[in-house]
Amino acid sequence: MRPPVRVRRAVVSLLALAVLYGIAAEIGRGRLPDRVWISPHYVEGVQLLPTWRSLAEEGEFLLKSKILPESLAVSTRRVAVGLLLGSVAGILLGLLTGWAARLEFLVDPWVTFFRFTPALALLPLYVVWFGYGETPKVLLIATTVAVITLLGAHQGVRSVPRVYLDAAASLGAGGWLRFRKVVLPAAFPSIFASVRIAAGLAWVTIVVAELIDAKMPSLGYLLALAGAYPRVPQMLLALAAVGIMVFLFDLAALLCHARATRWMERAG
Amino acid sequence: MASSRPPVLEALDVSFAYSGKTPTHALKDLSLEVKDNEFLAVLGPVGCGKTTLLRIFAGFLRPTTGSVRCGGEAVDGPGWQRGYVLQEAAIFPWMTVRENVEFGLQAKGIEPSARKAIADEWIGLIGLSAFEAAHPRELSSGMSKMVEVARVLATDPSLLLLDEPFGALDAQTRTRMQDALARLWEQRRKTVLLVTHDAEEALFLADRIVVLSPRPGRVHTQWAVDIPRPRSFETRFSARFLALKRQICEELIPS
Repeated sequence: MRPPVRVRRAVVSLLALAVLYGIAAEIGRGRLPDRVWISPHYVEGVQLLPTWRSLAEEGEFLLKSKILPESLAVSTRRVAVGLLLGSVAGILLGLLTGWAARLEFLVDPWVTFFRFTPALALLPLYVVWFGYGETPKVLLIATTVAVITLLGAHQGVRSVPRVYLDAAASLGAGGWLRFRKVVLPAAFPSIFASVRIAAGLAWVTIVVAELIDAKMPSLGYLLALAGAYPRVPQMLLALAAVGIMVFLFDLAALLCHARATRWMERAG
Repeated sequence: MASSRPPVLEALDVSFAYSGKTPTHALKDLSLEVKDNEFLAVLGPVGCGKTTLLRIFAGFLRPTTGSVRCGGEAVDGPGWQRGYVLQEAAIFPWMTVRENVEFGLQAKGIEPSARKAIADEWIGLIGLSAFEAAHPRELSSGMSKMVEVARVLATDPSLLLLDEPFGALDAQTRTRMQDALARLWEQRRKTVLLVTHDAEEALFLADRIVVLSPRPGRVHTQWAVDIPRPRSFETRFSARFLALKRQICEELIPS
């Protein structure tokens, strides 16, 4: 496996960025204005570019007060449940529409419609339908995820090379065996790629969805509150938390993907 | 004797046209028989409808007119009785060599233990026992093709259809694979219909050669290949082989 070199490079690049930021923040300290106009009033004592020291202090506070860990836990759970529900629904539907060509014309217009409609636009509707609370948030993520994974699974099934299907049919494989042993593995890379994209978008969705019926603890509301005061160190830390979660989800997906598609690696 | 038994495959006045604004006539009134335990090569120039003919026999295409019978029954859709090795690489890359060979057996509903025994035998016959757990990416394209042949033969079809099996290989590998196929056939006589544009390949492998005319394909001439078996490297340079090759090439490339 290659990672060592790539990981080392990533660490070096991140460290370089952190050092540059630190220098910029130190230069800016005392020089940047600390009074900003947040309509309809001025707010004093704003750190436009917080130093590493104040970030560390803010981090300590957010951890000790359990604000950040609890927010993380709540938001992660919503994303995970929505991702799971949406993936299962989307992949099953996509496999069905991809395999049963006769269903395609029924589903196609709807997929095209939803594909260009940001699922976030459904938020007010979901609140009206499902009230406040967990349901609309989780369902909104599930919807986002389902549309993307449906397309991924549909495309994946559709692009299974004809030769494999012919070879399987010629060997006497019935529909179910062909689907299980040929279509699924051949479509897997495309399905998984769509789940990865969906996982990233799920985090975008949750941060916005948590602005409705905004309550602590949640990462979305933490960000919103930090923006309202404004409290830049808190904002940056909440953003970093979201970024790290997206990264971890993507890494997990990538590892599963690599395990499941070892057969695709080039020899040598 | 073999000649008294009914032919394994019988094509009678088969014509095929690809529909379109101007229909393309790929085959015209083509009749041929594949006898029991015979290795028949259908030889023809590129574009004479060889693949079309094989896809009709495999059951993926229906002839526009004419009939095809296999084992006395009309061909109606693909099935394992007519084992079909496609021209393209069709080994399943996500399966190991063993899983590939066992796939057809699984489709036939054979018990896992019996499946394993049959697969062992065929993997051994193509000399890949050491690679049974390997994925196709670890094999050369020649060996992958032999796995495809073994995968089809493991299901014990009454007829093996080979579509330019070694067409995509370099000349040396092709020769080695032809040797391997000839040895395999000499050990396990099967009824084989091979389609190729390579006269030497047809001569080296077949008992009988049917030469097709350019599109629309029809039977042009037939040749009995009276070259003794087992055939080896030497066979390719024997006087009889070269004489036949010359005659057949003159048929293929009219001067």
